[in-house]
Amino acid sequence: MDKISKISDNIESVSTDTDTTSRRDFFKKTAVYSASLVAASSVLSPIKAIAGDDTAITHEAEWGTKLGKLVTDNLYGLPSPYEHNNIRRTMDLLSSGDMYASVSMCPIHESEGIITPNGLFFTRDHGGTAIVDPDKFRLMIHGKVKKEIVLTLDQLKRYPSVTRTHFIECPANGSTGWRAPQLNNLQFMKGMMSSAQWTGVLLKTILEDIGLEKDAVWMMAEGSDNAGNPRTIPVEKALDDAMIVWGQNGEALRPEQGYPVRLLVPGWEGNLNTKWLKRLEFSDKPWHSKEETSKYTMLQKTGKAVQFFWPNEVNSVITSPCPEKPWTDLKKGDLVEIQGLAWSGHGTIKHVDISFDGGDNWKEVSLKGLVLPKSWTRFSYIMKWDGKPLLLSSRATDDVNNVQPTIDQETSVVGVESVYHRNAIVTWEVNKKGEVNNVHIRKHNA
Amino acid sequence: MYILENTMLKKTIIGLGLSATMLMFSGCVADAENTTKRAVDGGAIYDVKDGKYSSYYVNTQNVGKYNKGRVATPTEISAWDIDVMPDGTGLPMYDTKHGKVLLDQNGKKIVAQGSVELGNELYDAQCAMCHGDFGAGGKGYPTLSGGDINSLTYQLQNPADAEPNEEPPRRMIGSYWPYASTLFWYIQDAMPFPHPKSLSNSETYAISAYLLMENGVEVDGEEMDEEFVMNREQFLKIKMPNRDGFYPNVDTPEDPAQGVRNITNYLNDQKNYGAGERCMSDCIKGDVPVLRIKNELNDFNPPASTEKSLPVVEKSNAVQPGQEAYENSCSACHGNAAIGAPVVGDKDAWEEVTSKGLDKVYHNGINGINGMPPKGGNMELSDSEMKIIIDYMINSSK
Repeated sequence: MDKISKISDNIESVSTDTDTTSRRDFFKKTAVYSASLVAASSVLSPIKAIAGDDTAITHEAEWGTKLGKLVTDNLYGLPSPYEHNNIRRTMDLLSSGDMYASVSMCPIHESEGIITPNGLFFTRDHGGTAIVDPDKFRLMIHGKVKKEIVLTLDQLKRYPSVTRTHFIECPANGSTGWRAPQLNNLQFMKGMMSSAQWTGVLLKTILEDIGLEKDAVWMMAEGSDNAGNPRTIPVEKALDDAMIVWGQNGEALRPEQGYPVRLLVPGWEGNLNTKWLKRLEFSDKPWHSKEETSKYTMLQKTGKAVQFFWPNEVNSVITSPCPEKPWTDLKKGDLVEIQGLAWSGHGTIKHVDISFDGGDNWKEVSLKGLVLPKSWTRFSYIMKWDGKPLLLSSRATDDVNNVQPTIDQETSVVGVESVYHRNAIVTWEVNKKGEVNNVHIRKHNA
Repeated sequence: MYILENTMLKKTIIGLGLSATMLMFSGCVADAENTTKRAVDGGAIYDVKDGKYSSYYVNTQNVGKYNKGRVATPTEISAWDIDVMPDGTGLPMYDTKHGKVLLDQNGKKIVAQGSVELGNELYDAQCAMCHGDFGAGGKGYPTLSGGDINSLTYQLQNPADAEPNEEPPRRMIGSYWPYASTLFWYIQDAMPFPHPKSLSNSETYAISAYLLMENGVEVDGEEMDEEFVMNREQFLKIKMPNRDGFYPNVDTPEDPAQGVRNITNYLNDQKNYGAGERCMSDCIKGDVPVLRIKNELNDFNPPASTEKSLPVVEKSNAVQPGQEAYENSCSACHGNAAIGAPVVGDKDAWEEVTSKGLDKVYHNGINGINGMPPKGGNMELSDSEMKIIIDYMINSSK
């Protein structure tokens, strides 16, 4: 719940920590982590260790010489048991004393395309994952509307549906980097987001049906879970592209994403996409809930805070290579695809540029696959790696010409106490061995 | 270019310091390349054109009303409509339950009110185990007091500043929250953490009053004491110290839509929150300043790994008696070492607990001990249910 103060508490203790024992612990932990990466890459690229014929070819494969599993073994399919490391992960630092009010990070370093499998979608709960009985689900729409109504799930699903692909991102994604790089792991640096193909009804369809009062300017959405998580959005957004969704990648929403129904506010703060939705109220005033006053407001250098900053700004990150997916298996002169994700809550990705020298010089690269509004967009560049160290950065531009800022461009305006909405350029330092480390390009010597 | 740009941005900051409100009306900077209609967040708007919404085909049939669902009853609405707004909308006058006002033995409406003293008792029984004595925190859950409005200008170790500050801003209820209504609403709706929506309106007034007192918040310019009784009338006299600490201004009763326009104006100009520039070459004059990780955070659960191997299979346990109730009512404290309660699974801690005999453990669980309120604060549990839960906790810690 109090992710923010946890982060600053930690930073405070870390940045003043000169105790040699903890330094030693830190190096020990890092060594373990690096060793696991090296082990992983040797598992993934066994070819260089083989002299002569490969027994994986010359000898019959174990699974090819016996019967496999029954078709009836998993009537709801599961990933291969070999993929057990492709999972969401958590961190005490980003939790509130327990795992009820916490966040699990999406393994975006393993992510393919622009859709997150439902079981890997990042999860942020404020009071545990509610398991809602769909027969007892009710949606109430009231306040400044012409007709105050209650809908059952079946009635809601009788509205005509649309299906759209949108990312959901917590605006605290990347917040550990305000002062300095602290994580060497893409999953934890940028995994507070995921993407899905959502099915539901446009809010506009319902609101045009029941009618809004003239002075209905604000809408509050509330969930039926422990925390409720009420948030206010302007009616203008509700009438633009907001949806009430029940489908996620072709099946019912997962409980972690608000089963049976959540609000979808494309491109805007994840926290606004109220899960386990139960109520929409309309008013001529905003509500000022806990999550839009004490949290999700950005303290500036003046001591004043920005409130109601809804969109997730234009952003991008290179996902391959990344600290978890290094180039340690590459030889000098190998061709390799650099790829990553770009996204903007303000619209559609128009350009992605990448830099090999930390942002001194840039080159526009290809977008790849579908390019949709408020959706993850893949980018790709194929390079011949000469084995020399690189400072690899990506920078996205969207169709309203917002350009992803450098760290200094962002912090010089908003300072480092905003907590939320950090979209500065990410840089990977690739060393001679092909190992990848998170670095900041910023003009100071902290 | 770099230096020039930083100088320019610093001017923006100075401007912001002089008058935050100026920014709100700075408006959209004309964009030669982009003349399309902007959305409420300054982003793109995609109209349905030729049967398509951006890349998506849409059904554009024109039909009549769908008329789904039914009309909500007034009691249903008042049961769910318990939100509280800064102007007092929704702030209860009476105790209510299930959408109806509660009546006393004489059939009179029960006025919602609670003293600081009652709030203190309730806080100690139901809140202190997580939020610490007097809201001082320190147990993994949010700290609720000890803020400082003067600290809000601090930028903790801001490496971009010439003289980085070593003190963080302390954003607590009294130093940061703009409205007291938020506190009342949140406690009523979402607290106490393990069993929210269990407090009466009167109890919520009491706890709110206690926390506001601990935060040094005054009512009508006067400090509260133990005897102070909070109710709707008193609550509406509270002005939070950081009431004017937020922008753009959205509280525009004379023209409700103006508040939204203020935000649109702010969001329309990326310079307000850090604009990038699509510079393509020689963008950094001089050396590229690289800052590497000094103190890595990596206590990931489970540890990071990309290895593709068969997992080690752990034997699974069927749900045991008491387990579900434990998870619902007790684990918030007993599953969390930071709280200080004996952690389930900690063999040594539970050997010590049970060394005084099982009856004593039952007694303490039912009647409370140290920071633990009777039955962990969940009075809905019967004594026999408590014993089953305690058995489960002991058996899980052997």
